[in-house]
Amino acid sequence: MNEDLYWIGIDIANGLLSGTMLGGYYAVISIGLALNFGVMRQVNLAHGDWLIVAAYLAVAFLGIANVSPFWTLAGVIPVMYGVGWLIQRVLLARVSVQAAERRGMAPSIGLMSPLLVTFGMSIVIGQGLLALFDANAQAIRNDLSYAAVRLGEDLSVSTLRLVFFVIAVAMLIAVQTFLNTTHAGRAIRAAADDPEVAALMGMHPARVHAVASGISLATAGVAGVMIGMSRSFQPFDGPTFLLVAFGVVILGGLGSMTGALVGGVILGITQVLSGTYFGPSAQLVGGYILILLVLAVKPQGLFSK
Amino acid sequence: MAASRPAKVTAAAPAAAAVPLLSIVGLSAWYGELRAIWDVSLDIHAGDVLAIIGANGAGKSTLLKSITGLMNRGAAAHTRGRVELGGRRLDALDTGQIVDAGVTLVPEGRRLFARMSVEDNLLAGAFLPRVRPLAQRRLAEMYRLFPKLAERRLQVVSQMSGGEQQMVAIARALMSQPRLVLFDELSLGLAPAVVDDIYRKVAEIHAQGTTCVIVEQDMKRALAVANRVCVMLEGAIVLEGTPATLSEAQITAAYFGTER
Repeated sequence: MNEDLYWIGIDIANGLLSGTMLGGYYAVISIGLALNFGVMRQVNLAHGDWLIVAAYLAVAFLGIANVSPFWTLAGVIPVMYGVGWLIQRVLLARVSVQAAERRGMAPSIGLMSPLLVTFGMSIVIGQGLLALFDANAQAIRNDLSYAAVRLGEDLSVSTLRLVFFVIAVAMLIAVQTFLNTTHAGRAIRAAADDPEVAALMGMHPARVHAVASGISLATAGVAGVMIGMSRSFQPFDGPTFLLVAFGVVILGGLGSMTGALVGGVILGITQVLSGTYFGPSAQLVGGYILILLVLAVKPQGLFSK
Repeated sequence: MAASRPAKVTAAAPAAAAVPLLSIVGLSAWYGELRAIWDVSLDIHAGDVLAIIGANGAGKSTLLKSITGLMNRGAAAHTRGRVELGGRRLDALDTGQIVDAGVTLVPEGRRLFARMSVEDNLLAGAFLPRVRPLAQRRLAEMYRLFPKLAERRLQVVSQMSGGEQQMVAIARALMSQPRLVLFDELSLGLAPAVVDDIYRKVAEIHAQGTTCVIVEQDMKRALAVANRVCVMLEGAIVLEGTPATLSEAQITAAYFGTER
């Protein structure tokens, strides 16, 4: 009897622990989406595909230089920042609310069209990756995949997930600090709130949005490398991760970094515990049931004010 | 709108030869197809407190938005005419450049960044590269001007009273060290005691050498602080002068567009 209790305790402790670690990884996957929506009221349906692009980018970098996968971040982050900046400036800015207004169209067109454009972008990215690479699954080999940190006799945590969790927390703190304490960060928040008044402060909402989009994809770059290091991936895997990101954002509320982490952790724990008690196939279902419940009870997210 | 506009009556002799700080010549503005301002010409001199009064829809806010470039929005809104600040054309510049040149607007309804703290709102006002190095000094000056804001510097502005929010809006605009501040509907929605307080602050700001334009529906308040008044009706300036030279009856008639 006592042993049963012990194992139940261990199961739950393991679930909480690995769920929390998984949550950090989920948070990194979602920050970009949350930032995009929080700042530009723009739902980026290609977000998941950009994660996969980053993973392929890391593979490409590793093809050139045989280094630890973590070093690829040094290349992936700036490239993804540049891509984010560019697509906002040359593509998405042209279909924004302000752009619609300038052309004498209803603002609602400016709300809808980025949705269509990023949906199209998602298709183009998937097909592009298929053409550039192939349909075979890729993975970023690393030494940490099978390592674990033992916390007790029957309690351990994957080293890779632990490293990801630390990176996630560091990243969330960095992004939040940037938003709170720098002129550029304040401009991002101001332009999100009221672009017209932001212009009165001397901010250029279009430029500010480009920076925000760059940061958003830079975080997606980190997430993409994490994805590549923890599992295999294929050109059309993006939408799966988009769903995860949406889940996290729904749970945590938009535009808050703490919300992303807490949302990620709750989703992670729910998935791992569902998997433990109802079998591996219940993992995803458990997560979605939670998301549906939150949508039904508190549609503005658990942590939004 | 009527095809012919009411003619402007100027009650005071034009101000002595001095070069105006802001000069507006033949300014018109449209929202889409709808013309909201008709050929407005107006000089604002350094040290003025100019009150612009008029009924709802008279074009007062549109005039302020036109000066600050907020009406340059392609098909949605545009302007025509000249606006010069100390001889420099403003009408071709974007809003950020106009604010950088020294004209700023305290918008109607305050329009604070609602989720930010008092201090973040003020620092947002110091975004321009010219102002950034002075941000902390300006912040201290604003807290001296509005001690109440210093006490609440970390409070989120959406939790503050209307009067306090108006103070934040004014301080935020002043962060950029403007030469000319345009106040849109300064007293709207505020309790009379709070309005007294706000107007005292405006007097202080003016005393420190900032030129002020106040758009106001409360005629008596405006006349009490202004050294010049203009009345707008249906998108045009129909009466201009000084509070001393204009009678209340004249202003009322212009305000409502009734026969004198």
